[in-house]
Amino acid sequence: MNGGRIGGKVLLAVVLLWTIVPLLWMLMSSLKPQEDITSTTPVLAFTPTLEHYKALFSGGNSIGSYAVNSILAAGISTLIAVGLGTLAGYGLARSNFRGKDHVAFWIISTRMAPIAAAVLPLFVIFRATHLLGTTWGLIVAYLSFNLPFAIWIMNAFFADLPPSLEEAALVDGASRWTAFRKIALPLVLPGVATTAILCLVFSWNDYAFASTFSGPDSQTLPIAASQLVTQTEIDWGQLTAIGTIVVAPMIVIGLIVRRWLVTGLTLGAVTGE
Amino acid sequence: MATAVERGSTAGTEQRAPARKENRFTFAGRMMAPALIVLALLSIFPFIYIVLMSLSRVGLIGGIDLHWAGLDNWSRLFSDESVGAAWVRSIVYFVLTVGLEMVLGIGIALLVHSLVWGKNLVLSLVLMPMFMAPAIVGLLGRFLTDSTYGLYAWVLRETGLYTGDILGSTTSAFIAVTLMDVWEWTPLIALIVLAGLSSLPKPVIEASRVDGATYWQRLRHIVLPMIAGVVIVALLVRSMDAIRYFDIIYNTTNGGPADATKIVPIRLYETAFRFFDLGYAAAIGLSMLAVSILLANLFMRTLRKRGLAK
Repeated sequence: MNGGRIGGKVLLAVVLLWTIVPLLWMLMSSLKPQEDITSTTPVLAFTPTLEHYKALFSGGNSIGSYAVNSILAAGISTLIAVGLGTLAGYGLARSNFRGKDHVAFWIISTRMAPIAAAVLPLFVIFRATHLLGTTWGLIVAYLSFNLPFAIWIMNAFFADLPPSLEEAALVDGASRWTAFRKIALPLVLPGVATTAILCLVFSWNDYAFASTFSGPDSQTLPIAASQLVTQTEIDWGQLTAIGTIVVAPMIVIGLIVRRWLVTGLTLGAVTGE
Repeated sequence: MATAVERGSTAGTEQRAPARKENRFTFAGRMMAPALIVLALLSIFPFIYIVLMSLSRVGLIGGIDLHWAGLDNWSRLFSDESVGAAWVRSIVYFVLTVGLEMVLGIGIALLVHSLVWGKNLVLSLVLMPMFMAPAIVGLLGRFLTDSTYGLYAWVLRETGLYTGDILGSTTSAFIAVTLMDVWEWTPLIALIVLAGLSSLPKPVIEASRVDGATYWQRLRHIVLPMIAGVVIVALLVRSMDAIRYFDIIYNTTNGGPADATKIVPIRLYETAFRFFDLGYAAAIGLSMLAVSILLANLFMRTLRKRGLAK
């Protein structure tokens, strides 16, 4: 038994190393002086510097505008998706019409459509409607996966609420809208927050849509990161710095809603803790 | 219409029930309408469009121009050996990544579940990779495997395990992109399976322990059968996403070296945006969509069996 416990500890250490080392190495490299990055043996002791971060934000190709594009595209598509999705999720959870299964299937297959397949018709449609190269184009593209996701998840959160609470309010003369706003909605606020954060993570992390649809005025941070890779050389200091900038906020907000993540990520099929 | 809504009504509301039911249906309808209209614009319209594209030669000069081409793209698709090879690579990549993620994810979930203290901290640390942009995972993987400056390349070289250029030769490149995907998505499986483990009734586990079952016996005959449903959900959720994304390969090898990592979406991108053969790319895209619809169908069935699709 004791041997098993020690074995477990060793395994746990291996798992943590496997997970953490790449992330830690990215963070460390982003703070290393150039000569320590390009050393042929890994350097563990170094004097931290912010030179790579400064370089990213200075000069003609500052990543500031990329960051703004990322925030706008991910933020606005999240707001629209969560707003519309919360209303529709409630409607779906509180109704039982014929063909509901088909609607549900339509929603989930939209969410699960392969990005490469979704990009093609949108590319042609955006070209015709002059959305190509604009932030609005990206917002619309992100809505194509965030909206079905938000409807589906909010439906799952509302379906978990017993309708008796709202029915009691209706008996007391409240309107349906009031019953939704004052009773159902406050009870699913953790669900709304989880949905919003996951929508934000999905769109912030997007690469394929942005690489196809965005132009000089709408490119996002992951695109800026990939542009640091050129034929001749790669500036690993700047690349790890931008990687840290893209990744850190998502890890932080993702872990904030950890309790409800399982419900969100399994599309309501499994509930956590 | 009468069968439209039948959620329970309390005794006091019974006499006014019909009017209320009618009203509730239209209320739910009003709530759903805006989202469903936007969703229709974003899904049904593009779907019709991609079907039309797959039946056309698409010209991009001076706007968009579809020339009816009948089933040309489709007959080409079914006789194109390079697309066939991309499907084979996709299937191998899919089986390897998702298979490894399932095995490792279940293992990590069991490990974290058995912890007495520090469970939350360990879980938070283990989950971190899955919040990363896959494109950044690819670029970071490129850094770690860089033959001059890469940490992992250095470890492999110093231990004598591998001395070549990792992303430069076919087998090692394929293994590397597989492991990058496994690194990012194993935490997702661990998270879902852990939720299943946490919901197991303690008395059952305790009883088997009292009866003298060993750890492995308990695992095989009690724990695993009880979390089978959750494991299947994890498998389906991960499978659907595995088909969606291709960012890691896109940002590392982009299909190379010598096509070793050219999975179907990479082939589609090349067809559409390098050779500008959008009609043919549409046919490839629709064949991918068919696979994901099949998986979504399986997912819906599982949900219904678990009694959770309300």
